Amino acid sequence: MNDVILEPAQRALEERSRALFLESVEGLDMRTRSRLNQARQAAVAAAANARSRPWFTRMPLLTSAGGVAAAAVLGVALWVGGPLGHHPAAPAESTFEDLDLVAATDGASGDAMEMLQDDIDFYDWADKAASSEPAA
Amino acid sequence: MSGFDTLTSAWMVWDGPAPAPRGVVLEQTQELNKFLAEIERRAFRMAQVALRDPDDALDVVQDAMLKLARNYAKRPSAEWRPLFYRILENGIRDLQRRRSVRKRFMTWLPGPKEDPDNEAQDPLDSVADGAAAVPEQLMQDQAMQKLESSLRELPARQREAFMLRNFEGLDVAETATAMGCSEGSVKTHYSRAVHTLREQLGEVW
Repeated sequence: MNDVILEPAQRALEERSRALFLESVEGLDMRTRSRLNQARQAAVAAAANARSRPWFTRMPLLTSAGGVAAAAVLGVALWVGGPLGHHPAAPAESTFEDLDLVAATDGASGDAMEMLQDDIDFYDWADKAASSEPAA
Repeated sequence: MSGFDTLTSAWMVWDGPAPAPRGVVLEQTQELNKFLAEIERRAFRMAQVALRDPDDALDVVQDAMLKLARNYAKRPSAEWRPLFYRILENGIRDLQRRRSVRKRFMTWLPGPKEDPDNEAQDPLDSVADGAAAVPEQLMQDQAMQKLESSLRELPARQREAFMLRNFEGLDVAETATAMGCSEGSVKTHYSRAVHTLREQLGEVW
């Protein structure tokens, strides 16, 4: 009995509420519609990208593990085969070479004094030659 | 069979599923676009009824679209609707849960209280509109506001069942999939929701 009385009222409630809801959907403002449209385009683009990529690039675990492995191999190769491993005493040797060069420079200072002495003799001769010339 | 042939066939065995042909992808993409365009506004309004805030509703709908597109686009299109609404309802529930936790936390802190549900009225809302509203439209708006507030007072599961069955037009099985419960539970939730709404809206409607 109760069901018979409630049934039309229930149906009326369903129909009225649905009509009101759909009307409110139609009344959405343009800004909201535009933002929904943008969200949809982004979702569709994401779906298209996910489908067109090769299978192995769609597995983040696999790609990240591959990247880590490649980085590890490269690191080991650089560590073992790099120039640092072969010349541990190179800086010390070059320091001694520099000291030799400095010492050699100090030793050559005698030659420089000799050259300077030669120049003084030349200037002395030139001075005398100029003073002995007859006046014009 | 030479060694090279064996290697090639072994590679073919280990090769995963090839990407779909371009034409198939385009067709599926268009179908997905059509599906989302058809439901996006209703989904937004349902989220808005549940969450009150339009920005939150947009975020939840956008998130549901992306998740559906990324994870379930390959499924038959007939399954998209209940899957989409399942994602959407989960998103709404998560957001409501976060809000309630935040609200509980904020009550312990000094200073101005947060209003996550936007319960405070905007003063501009009370300013009279210059244009004369059409009386019929005004009555419809009031009726919808009353319906929305009554829906918000319902328990979440009853509200979900009512909106999915009545607003979105899902059948009992699809609603059960979307809500993650049995068909019997859907019938119970829906029946209780209709009775409660009938009691609350009876005088106005």
